[in-house]
Amino acid sequence: MKTGYYVSLHAETLEDPVIPSSVDIIDANRVPVLLVRAAKAGILTAPYLVTDSVKQIISEFGFPVVLFPVNPFSFNIFKTAKNRSALYRAFKSLSMTYKYAVCAQPLMGEMISFKSIFGKCQLDEATREISERVYELFKIPICKLYVQRANGKSYLSAFHPLTMEEILPSDVRMVSEMIFQVSKKGEHLWLR
Amino acid sequence: MVKIACFVEKYNFMDPDETGALQNFKLAASSMGHNFSFMFKEQISEIPRYDAIFIRATTDPLNTSYVVSKTAYELGLRVVDDPKSIQICGNKVHLYRLFEKYNIPHIPTMFLNKDEFHHKRIMNIFKTFGIPVVIKAPYTSFSKYVEKASCETSFREVAEKFFRRSDVLVVQKFMPTPFDWRVGVLNDEVLYVCKYTMRKGRWKHGSKLRGKPRYVWGRTVSLRKDHSPLKLREIALKACEFIGRGLYGVDIKEINGEYVVVEVNDNPSIYAGFEDCRKKDVYEKIIAYLAD
Repeated sequence: MKTGYYVSLHAETLEDPVIPSSVDIIDANRVPVLLVRAAKAGILTAPYLVTDSVKQIISEFGFPVVLFPVNPFSFNIFKTAKNRSALYRAFKSLSMTYKYAVCAQPLMGEMISFKSIFGKCQLDEATREISERVYELFKIPICKLYVQRANGKSYLSAFHPLTMEEILPSDVRMVSEMIFQVSKKGEHLWLR
Repeated sequence: MVKIACFVEKYNFMDPDETGALQNFKLAASSMGHNFSFMFKEQISEIPRYDAIFIRATTDPLNTSYVVSKTAYELGLRVVDDPKSIQICGNKVHLYRLFEKYNIPHIPTMFLNKDEFHHKRIMNIFKTFGIPVVIKAPYTSFSKYVEKASCETSFREVAEKFFRRSDVLVVQKFMPTPFDWRVGVLNDEVLYVCKYTMRKGRWKHGSKLRGKPRYVWGRTVSLRKDHSPLKLREIALKACEFIGRGLYGVDIKEINGEYVVVEVNDNPSIYAGFEDCRKKDVYEKIIAYLAD
């Protein structure tokens, strides 16, 4: 776990208001948990399968398919497989040589990723709605979301934290502005 | 009839005593009129078909078992271990912070942040706790990722290894005892009491033989619940109170007649002929809790 998780944890122990909560940090970082909670909240999500069987992935989803790791050592990574041999390679890599399960999703259309800052993003309405609702649910101020676009709809696919290199000066300005607006209105109370 | 799925992995069937315990759970469930099936990783998508989930595979907030627990919880199923218990017990930093908050007597503990990993801080730790000290990675289980350090070099070596997966580590005073108490707790009641002894010349219940990869374990001595000290049982219950009402194994050290909590484990070991030795209804009680 990284320092940010422990900062949230420390604040929670002291009963200070904090976003995101330590539970939301864990949940958002595990793709199947992100999707089960998002689906429960009414967000359109990509179908998924948690398994340690390549055969099951092929029989359920066919190709192309996207794989995400579900293990304590791999973060911020996914692999796409368009055929059987690519799937076996991706599975071996993400399952750490068949030790852990993976989360598989059918690649239904195109996979896009975008930055979500306090739930705001500069994309079409369907994607903006996902971004806002994911923020409402997990309260993670800065992140990267993966969405699959197919049949004119957007489906939440995954969450990744942003690396320092991905945060641009314009993003920092946006964050500062959001915090300024929130403190001006006294909206810090919604943290409680 | 309640449909219970027991989430297991292949390694749960490697030890004949653990396999025996799993079979005992199945027998207990059948005798109580419930359906008990083993669920492996490729059957996770079948969770909604069950009424309750019992996790026996090793838990970790970043592992598949947490996904199983949280999925079951979100679907409204009864689940042991529940996600909150996994989150707290699966991270020792979280656990010890809560011990401090709720005044649970525990081994003197400090937290070491990656940013303050320098000579002065290490010397300060040795000065406060004496030599040696125990360094724990937050994700420790089965005595793994718990090591002793007697000098700055070994401290740095161990800490650098543990910092690979966590930015914060736990450092504790070294308090050797010939055995640790293990109190099994379910739903705010003591389920069983054991002593986990240390092997001769060792300071942990589980340790590696020099040059061998395999872990060897000290003896497990089971006691009748009412023959164990009342204060011990009270402290065990108090230590679980703020975590939840699931199934826990509380490790406690007895030092000069005083009890200090070492840690609370979710997903405690239950091996046939060991933890259940003096309390054969352990299996029925857990099944009854799942079926409630």
